[in-house]
Amino acid sequence: MAADGDTTDMHVQGDSTLPRLTSRLEFQQYAASAKDKWNSLWSSTNTVVTVLVGSSSIAKGAEKVLDAAAEYALMKSNVVVRKTGVDGADWMEVQVRVKRPGGPLVHYANVTPDEVVDVIEGRLESKALGVDGDQPSGNLPLLRDHPFFKYQQRLILRDVGVIDPDSIEEAISRGAYSAYFKVLFEMSQEEVIAEMTAANLRGRGGAGFPAGIKWESGRKARNTPKYIVCNSHEGEPNVYKDRRILEGDPHRILEGLLIAAIAVGAERAYNYIGGEHPMAIKKFRKAVADAERLGLIGKNVLGSGKNVAFRVRTGGGAYICGEGSAMMYSVMGVRGQPRTKPPRSVEEGLWKRPTVANNTETMANVRDIVNNGGAWYASIGTEKSSGTKLMTVQGPLKTMGLVEVPMGITLRTLIDEVWGGMRDGHKFKGIQTGGVSAGPLKDEHLDLPVDFDSLTHVGGMLGSGGFVVFDESVSAVDFARYLTAFNRYESCSKCVPCARGNPALVEIIDRIRLGRGTKADLPLIRRTSKHVIELSLCGLGQVAPMPLLGMMDQYPEEFETAVTNNTGTVLWLTQRQERVLATEITTTPAAD
Amino acid sequence: MPFTRSYRVSQVVDPAHVDGNEIDLDVVREILSHFTFHDFQEAQELILGALMEVNRQFGWVSLEAAKIVADHFGTSDNRVYALLTFYADFRTQPRGKHFMLLCHGMSCYVMGSQKLVDELEQHYGITDGGTTADGELTVQVVNGCLGVCDKAPIVELDHEFHTELTVEKFNQVLQQAIANGGGWRHH
Repeated sequence: MAADGDTTDMHVQGDSTLPRLTSRLEFQQYAASAKDKWNSLWSSTNTVVTVLVGSSSIAKGAEKVLDAAAEYALMKSNVVVRKTGVDGADWMEVQVRVKRPGGPLVHYANVTPDEVVDVIEGRLESKALGVDGDQPSGNLPLLRDHPFFKYQQRLILRDVGVIDPDSIEEAISRGAYSAYFKVLFEMSQEEVIAEMTAANLRGRGGAGFPAGIKWESGRKARNTPKYIVCNSHEGEPNVYKDRRILEGDPHRILEGLLIAAIAVGAERAYNYIGGEHPMAIKKFRKAVADAERLGLIGKNVLGSGKNVAFRVRTGGGAYICGEGSAMMYSVMGVRGQPRTKPPRSVEEGLWKRPTVANNTETMANVRDIVNNGGAWYASIGTEKSSGTKLMTVQGPLKTMGLVEVPMGITLRTLIDEVWGGMRDGHKFKGIQTGGVSAGPLKDEHLDLPVDFDSLTHVGGMLGSGGFVVFDESVSAVDFARYLTAFNRYESCSKCVPCARGNPALVEIIDRIRLGRGTKADLPLIRRTSKHVIELSLCGLGQVAPMPLLGMMDQYPEEFETAVTNNTGTVLWLTQRQERVLATEITTTPAAD
Repeated sequence: MPFTRSYRVSQVVDPAHVDGNEIDLDVVREILSHFTFHDFQEAQELILGALMEVNRQFGWVSLEAAKIVADHFGTSDNRVYALLTFYADFRTQPRGKHFMLLCHGMSCYVMGSQKLVDELEQHYGITDGGTTADGELTVQVVNGCLGVCDKAPIVELDHEFHTELTVEKFNQVLQQAIANGGGWRHH
């Protein structure tokens, strides 16, 4: 099936030692032997050392740690060194886990290349944070009692940081493709979609549209061929959740996509990954190549009579390509500019054929829903927003990282417990929600539950689960300028309200920041924002001024002070700002 | 991409003055030979990937290289150039000796990356996408996120990360890289 597979990657080849499975029984045997191999790895008399290598830990020297550990293992016959993806605990990086014969798995944090040998030999127990298992070991507590892990319910992230992402065998030993197997042989299309609908899995990309309903309309669409596209673009300036799953457990996403393709009756599934994530692209391509060699993608998969083809496509760094129709244009090799809807993409999407588009995190949930049933999934989280959600945070916090928590947890628990509270010397001022598409929340909002609907009443948004905590050193006017400037830069300039409106907004804020603002500027911002919101074509334009308006609502005093005192909020001017200042202000702000 | 960018100051560097920036068109043809397709749809889908590969190898895509890509996929030069000017990762001018990705995601912003952007403009005379007049340094300000948020602000200089930067440390890192020679090509 190489003809329809991804023949185009020059750097990634599938594992040539993999057998080609052609029947139901062969897969079951392969899965059983993979499981045995996994169990014998952990029950052997070897010391098993795991180094967590991902795009975030490489920046902190994880590859050097891995090299040092591998070098040490060459001299010792009873030390096995393996690598996995990063598990989300960024504050612990570089992480090393050591399992000594008969002992529990010990987690070591912040290991440097010089220390790794001491860590393996047990001479540096000060670096140990905790152990896995049922009970504490010596003076080491259970790691899952640490606040960062205590509130988490790791379903999607279960195997991230546990398995080697390059090994399909390890993935299968931990249950990968078990749901796919069920869908191939035991379930009908209708049954799969019924489970998805019962799970009430809402799209994790931000809009929150139920995935089951989307699949159902995809299945009912009469045009053929149909396509599935997974949106792994993730271009938002504060979200890194999809990247971590793609790097740590690519098979989970691939399985979700293959199930979707079978359930909808699609000819081919695509994954569109943003060009900003080279490591994610590499790991995912490897996963696809391996699955193809094993015979899980292709014609007559495992003798079931079902066909599925797969392609990986990459983007080139344009935030707008996260929008559904823009993403499909980008897959088709043209500029990623959104189009007007209807027709919706389930009627006319990729190559003008019915296309079901889902977010990566949505696809990652599919395996557990098919295996455990939709009712089980719906029992997690809140009534209207079921399941767990990946959340990322940025800003001056102590224990930062990616977490998977049930829907309905409060922001205060997240900030104070899970992410460890503010670092010393920083005072909490606000938390920006919904990426660049919603407003900030203040201290009084922190007791609201986090789900798709609760935050919107106060001007926030769950979006894709990215939060930014900022402290007193960040001026609301400056931050609003940054967020608006982001949208200005990323506007695709197809429609005028967005392409011209956002630069106009930045210009007004710059005027205020440079101490040249007038009182009439604030109503002018609101009026211009209203035009951009109401007249723009796509989701980017329709929410582009929201962060600015949110900042004005939450911190009105800062904007008032800036325009009345004309003090300005910048300390010194760059050349560009001097140019702005030099130009005579010609706009005459009229009354609202 | 959008015409809102047109005010940007851009420095044109003559490719001949920067070593190794010439694009060997035979290598481009060799790259393209890996991008085989069976029908019209697949050809269209592969254009972006092929351009990315050329961009990765040489650091930029010249007009001549773009023409060869267009010929290979049976499309127009115009169409290919439209992609090069839309997606932020592509460059249509050669890179300087050193190449820096400056993360300007929200985490880095909250922790002070704006100071680094301003420093570049004030003391090196370059903005996003610009190359210093001596051809030493090209900077690309990343609007998305490089994903090392707990160590913000960060830059990736010649494929190496430098974390928790202040303006002083930032200058130190840059001066050292320029003094050491090397460059993005040597990694």
